[in-house]
Amino acid sequence: MLPFNVRLERRMDFPWWRNALTPFLSVLAALIVGGAFLAIEGFNPITVYRALFDASFTSKFGITDTLTLATPLILTGLAAAIVFRMNLFNIGAEGQLYLGAIFGSWAGLTISEGLPTILGVTVVLIAGAIGGALWALPPALAKAYLGTSEIITTLMFTFIGLFLMKYLIFGSNSAWRDTEVANFPQGRKIPPEARFEAFGNTRLHWGLIVAIGIAIGIWALIRFTSLGFDMNVVGSSPNAAAYAGIPVRRTVIIALLISGALGGLAGATEVAGRAFALDPNGLELGIGFTGIVVAALARYNPFAIIFVATFLGGIRNAGLALQSLPGERVPVEVSLMLQGAILLFAIGGEVFGNNRLRLTRRVTTADAIAEATA
Amino acid sequence: MTTPAIAAVAATKRFPGVLANDAVDFTVFAGEVHTILGENGAGKSTLAAMLCGLYQPDEGHVERNGEPTLLRSPRDGLAQGIGMVHQHFRLVDRFTVAENVILGDPDQPRLIDQSVVETRVAEIGERFGLPIDPRARIADLTVGQRQRVEIVKMLYRDAEVLLLDEPTAVLTPKEVEALFITVNAMTAAGKAIVFISHKLGEVMSISDRVTVMRAGRVTGEVATADTDQRHLAELMVGRPVESETRRATAKSGQADVLLECRGLTLSIDGQNAVDDVDITLRRGEILGIAGVAGNGQRPLARLLAGIDGCDAGSVAVNGSSVTNHGPLAARNAGLAFVPEDRLGTGLVPGLSLTDNMLLTRPRKFLVDRKGARREVGQAITDYEIKTPGTEAHARLLSGGNSQKVLLARELASLGTEDGPQVIIVSSPTRGLDIGAAEFVRGLLHEARERGAAVLIISEDLDEVRSLADRVAVLYRGQIALQGRTDDLTIEQIGLAMAGVSADDDVGASPAEVAG
Repeated sequence: MLPFNVRLERRMDFPWWRNALTPFLSVLAALIVGGAFLAIEGFNPITVYRALFDASFTSKFGITDTLTLATPLILTGLAAAIVFRMNLFNIGAEGQLYLGAIFGSWAGLTISEGLPTILGVTVVLIAGAIGGALWALPPALAKAYLGTSEIITTLMFTFIGLFLMKYLIFGSNSAWRDTEVANFPQGRKIPPEARFEAFGNTRLHWGLIVAIGIAIGIWALIRFTSLGFDMNVVGSSPNAAAYAGIPVRRTVIIALLISGALGGLAGATEVAGRAFALDPNGLELGIGFTGIVVAALARYNPFAIIFVATFLGGIRNAGLALQSLPGERVPVEVSLMLQGAILLFAIGGEVFGNNRLRLTRRVTTADAIAEATA
Repeated sequence: MTTPAIAAVAATKRFPGVLANDAVDFTVFAGEVHTILGENGAGKSTLAAMLCGLYQPDEGHVERNGEPTLLRSPRDGLAQGIGMVHQHFRLVDRFTVAENVILGDPDQPRLIDQSVVETRVAEIGERFGLPIDPRARIADLTVGQRQRVEIVKMLYRDAEVLLLDEPTAVLTPKEVEALFITVNAMTAAGKAIVFISHKLGEVMSISDRVTVMRAGRVTGEVATADTDQRHLAELMVGRPVESETRRATAKSGQADVLLECRGLTLSIDGQNAVDDVDITLRRGEILGIAGVAGNGQRPLARLLAGIDGCDAGSVAVNGSSVTNHGPLAARNAGLAFVPEDRLGTGLVPGLSLTDNMLLTRPRKFLVDRKGARREVGQAITDYEIKTPGTEAHARLLSGGNSQKVLLARELASLGTEDGPQVIIVSSPTRGLDIGAAEFVRGLLHEARERGAAVLIISEDLDEVRSLADRVAVLYRGQIALQGRTDDLTIEQIGLAMAGVSADDDVGASPAEVAG
């Protein structure tokens, strides 16, 4: 037995710097642990991390590719954050993203042609948001009226969405499938009017600006509107919400629909900015699930989400670059492992941010009596 | 009698941010009742917890019969003959009395002989005035009877020191009398009793000695023979206390009816939690709803405030019907409600005071934080609210300060056309120190003077009697008695709280009434 007792005590003070410091320390700890694994595998962690950093952040195409990957992560991060902060756990942004892609590409294929680009793209985005929101609607209604756990329903809807998307391309001659290509099934390309314009000769597109704009919009919604205020109250104290006459069910449904719409937007942005078609292989990247990590690391703060999404986008981007590291073939899984470690440490960091670890000496009866009467 | 049965010697206990007990000395001798008196948060329960083994002192120690001892757990305490009767009972509803008594008793043989247990439970009941059927299920017992089971449980395990934590809080006046008979029987049998309370009248009548605590320190130890209630109150608060009663001066019989409910009924789990309740409340009067906890106070308040819908009946505020129209309709008609659960229902613990001020304000598209911040700032000055600032989270406030914030919000614009006409306050001063309680009572009187109608719902009979112009007693969801405060004796109210109607034989023996 340890000679002392270990106890967690709730902290009574919450200075801002601790909030800001916790994610950084979590990331640092994850890099150290990841480094240990790399070292065990015979790689030099410093070399690998430097290569990772170079590949994602310092080279010109590195940074633009990183931001391209960050764009949908910002949106799925917001999708998670807006409801997680209300203790509503929509973990189905992944599925909502697929539906956003399905709806968005449909709109791009059927409506956008001939429209000015700005309108053509807007139509894709709106359709995507509607698709995502529709996918969140059944779980939202079940949550509000039946009390069904949204964690289970949104997750199950993710798989329905995934197989629906795969069916549309691989399993049928749907309107989304390019029937002129015979050898391998793929999605029909959306017209140029439905595509985001790229910056220069990079892959980075206007979707990033849209995502940042939406992050600001979500921040304003939470901070300044009565809807945002009611969401705060419902999230932190349903009893107080009922007392104040806030329509709890309606607020829960609206919040989940906004979350779903954000997931759908992420899918539409991928279609309009990167895939240009309903491309199951190019969309099934876990962007929705990674959004949960983004939101957690950003402590549900919309501005922090932009930066965290960029950071995690960089780690994903580096995954491929690492494979071609001269002399050292680092497996692509390293980036996934790092991402997992970061989430784990972020959750642990949360505990230590809110609590203080206290070690107290374990005393025996004889000790205590001797001390007390000394 | 020279060595105390149990003693705390310079016992100090800290919790994060709080010094709960600061070098407290406390002794109880066999055969006496020693009361720990103090306001909420004074450290009474912490001291009791250290004496029974629930907490261990950070500094100092506990002595049993003059010998230092270390109590690691309540089980250690019981093994040394120290038993605690908690305010919130620890009984299994589906078990019988006898089963509960032996539950967790390490001295029971492997094969339990129920009849032995039942005989002993009956014996103990006989000896200490605790009549109880050993085969009754806890679920079928009244609160007073359940308390007896807790005491029997301790006596069954041969506890020589009994700690009773606010035992009278849940009892009717008659049940309190019965409890005191038991306490006297126990001291006569040589047991040491530690009685925890903040009710001065009871303390004076039951104790031999009183230790008064304030803010974790002992402020005085006196024999009840040498003191009086006023002196104890001063030790408790740390300054002289004035108590005054201001009744409505005007005859309110002809004033406008501001709150009226007729035949209000709500069934919860097949039982009528609120049963055919009629209330008429007029401008300029305070009506107090008295009753033992759990007789429908909470559901009644929620029905009147529109938070829950009723099964039958009607509610009208200021002449307009708000029956089952929700809390917004009631508020728009001029009703303000201060719930008993201040942090969690009345206030959102995780939001700032500014945001909490917005909770019951009308919604526009954008929230008006600037206005709310001004309002909170004003309230902090006017109500002397102690807080780090307007952006501090509500959870950081003490009971008194959160009640002040709530009242500041709900009584805002009092006396104007938009202001509240009807004010419902549940447990207005529960958990408040005497200063804050005085302040709250003053506010409610002021609201009445300014033309509001006030409804107070409280389990504290003294509070109801001192505040209200009229009293209504709630028993099993029904109004059992109603009348002007000055026309009703405490005995009449007490009987009504116990469910004895005026038609019954008022001369029934105390044992029957309490049973």
